[in-house]
Amino acid sequence: MQDLQTRLAQHTDLGEWTQQRADLAFVTVAREHLHGLLRHLRDHEGFTHLVLLTAVDWLEDGQFQLTYLMNNRAAARDIGVRVLIPREGADMDSIHDLWPTAATYQRELREMFGIDFPGSPRVDEEFILEGWRDMPPYRRDFDTLKYAQEEFAERPGRVSKDPETHMKQKLYPDGA
Amino acid sequence: MPITTVLSPFRAWKFLFQNPVTVRDPLTERPGAPRYRGFHQNDAEKCVGCGTCETICQNGAIDMIDVGLAPKDGDSGLRPRIDYGRCCWCALCVDVCMTGSLSMSNAYTWTDANADAFRFTPGVDKKPWDNDQLGYRRPEGHALHGKDRVEMAELEPEARIGTFDEIVAGYDVARARLEADRCVECGLCVATCPAHMAIPQYIKAVRDGDYERGLALLYETNPFSQVCGRVCTHKCETACAAGHEGDPIAIRWLKRHITDQVPHKDYVRIVGKPKKAAKGEAKTIAVVGAGPAGLTAAYDLARQGHKVVVYEVRKHPGGMPRYGIPEYRLPYDILDADIDVIRAMGVEIKCETRVGSDITMDELKAKNDAVILAIGLHLGRSTRIPGSDHADVRKAVDLLRQVTDEDPVDVPKSLVVIGGGNVAMDIARTMARLQMKAYGEVAVTVTALEDKAHFLADPDEIRECGEEGIDIVDARGPQEVVIDADGRVEGLRTWRVQSIFDAQGRFAPSYDESDERIHPGDMVIEAIGQAAGVDMLGEGLTEALEWNRGRIQVDADGRTSESWLWAIGDCVKGPDVVHAVADGHRAAKSILAAFEGKGDEA
Repeated sequence: MQDLQTRLAQHTDLGEWTQQRADLAFVTVAREHLHGLLRHLRDHEGFTHLVLLTAVDWLEDGQFQLTYLMNNRAAARDIGVRVLIPREGADMDSIHDLWPTAATYQRELREMFGIDFPGSPRVDEEFILEGWRDMPPYRRDFDTLKYAQEEFAERPGRVSKDPETHMKQKLYPDGA
Repeated sequence: MPITTVLSPFRAWKFLFQNPVTVRDPLTERPGAPRYRGFHQNDAEKCVGCGTCETICQNGAIDMIDVGLAPKDGDSGLRPRIDYGRCCWCALCVDVCMTGSLSMSNAYTWTDANADAFRFTPGVDKKPWDNDQLGYRRPEGHALHGKDRVEMAELEPEARIGTFDEIVAGYDVARARLEADRCVECGLCVATCPAHMAIPQYIKAVRDGDYERGLALLYETNPFSQVCGRVCTHKCETACAAGHEGDPIAIRWLKRHITDQVPHKDYVRIVGKPKKAAKGEAKTIAVVGAGPAGLTAAYDLARQGHKVVVYEVRKHPGGMPRYGIPEYRLPYDILDADIDVIRAMGVEIKCETRVGSDITMDELKAKNDAVILAIGLHLGRSTRIPGSDHADVRKAVDLLRQVTDEDPVDVPKSLVVIGGGNVAMDIARTMARLQMKAYGEVAVTVTALEDKAHFLADPDEIRECGEEGIDIVDARGPQEVVIDADGRVEGLRTWRVQSIFDAQGRFAPSYDESDERIHPGDMVIEAIGQAAGVDMLGEGLTEALEWNRGRIQVDADGRTSESWLWAIGDCVKGPDVVHAVADGHRAAKSILAAFEGKGDEA
């Protein structure tokens, strides 16, 4: 995919390029270049299919990473375009004008990560979490276990033993 | 309405006589994908009940339950029960499993009218998918916890052989945290530790960088924490859950790391002052022998506000850790630091006082509310082979003592050690250092009855002996100390060992007499075991006590048949420091109970 990299670099300021496999590469770009690059890949490089749009929470760095994975069916290869955005007050430009299906991904990311995509159709409607009141659950600072314990009732009769305490009771109950 | 819209439903009739493309009966056979995450499978034999699956489960779906298996070293006997009303099939439990016992089948269809049926213990409650081959397995090479132990810096062989400097450097803070990070805090190790130290809790203290909390935890169960941090036999590490698919956590080195991080001047403040006994409640206790067993009992009793005097025949307290363990493994100032803490609790140690002559057992009995015998094993045993009464045939324990007390030692240019245990390694390596200092070269041969596969010494000791130029010859039975015409020791004659024990498991070595060798040496050192020196008891007490195969008979708490006397440590049990510490605790507890009238009147 060296050829593709060379061609793209002629008109877009590309960040880090990772050649994951012979038929799969990832490239990082600044957010202002994203829309133009996706349109170019779709219209001039044959990457007509948006496979998925997903996010990674780099909590320690205070950033979200968005990955737009696209497929060129004729050439049987994929490219993932990555954009890093600040975690605080996270928002991103919508691409539903390029692929209407993107609106669904963007609605999901809004719900699960709290990333806003202003102008994206139905982006503020509930997606799969009905009546969710907590922080978006795919954020890494969301405490899943605590939520599960508070939200879901225990079936009666559950008991759990701590291995260390259990062994003490069975093997050396008086502590010596 | 166009006419095609009206006709189109009838076009479907043309498919009526074609082969169907759908599955005939989708409700009976619906196999999951090969790596589908379905109902769990657990190899209950391989599982050790560490509960790490329960800890990682983000849905609180796993309980560790008693399924009737008896707990044993490294296995709590508990097994995970999964509540499928909560399980979200994420497989984190499979990914984190310390033994690889837990996996998931690709079975996912199951109906039952009873909701509680969906809460069961895989591998214990039998299920149809228990032996299914397909399903989710943790991918090869995928691990959520570090498998490799953080390396410990050591002196290189060339740098250490000419000195008695400590070999092991100890972890720095960064390395210790990395190592502590590998611990999953399951606590399986605690039962195996004879002193039941709070291992997961003090490892957590390392991770948090809270060394004062760590030190306080150590001294709750072990006043010889610095010593054990260096020379403990660390059986805990054999129970460690991390050892199943990687290196066990370096528990001993992390303990040492805590003691290294806290300045000695702060120890007593952190450990805390002893209790003050109520008026008239303070008892007096005499302890014979200032080794780990006696001093631990003394420490416990003094912390409860009682008056303890320890009588020690040698120049310095410490027992075998001082007089048996060489300085390159346990520096004397480390031992002194531990003993200083014990003294700070009010324990009085009277050195160079021989019980039996300077003060008798009868006097101790008369003056004290209880007496503890913790005299260790300080008499070297002899092979009694021809020539073993020669002046240049020495006992390992005697020589080690001479080196510690800095008494002059005649260092031979070459020597032979008889024995394959840790004491044999200690004396071989000690003499090798003295040879290096005196002559610039090492000529030590160790002959052991056991073959390499059954060696008694720790593997580390054997490896380090090799690095230091010591020749270990295995499966050799000593026959005679060879003495030349001028009456000087020339070497040791041995035969090859065919077997050590007879069919009944009794010690009865048999030899291949045709395979004879003479190992040259100007000195032969016997390191084949030790005995307790019980002459100090005196005739009356020796008669009165009950004995068991040459050892004083004691109950589980160390109490002898004489209600005022407890006997603990190596002289009744063995075999190492941490067992002695545990013995000391037990005896102290038993004595305190006796004082309170819970046990028999003391």
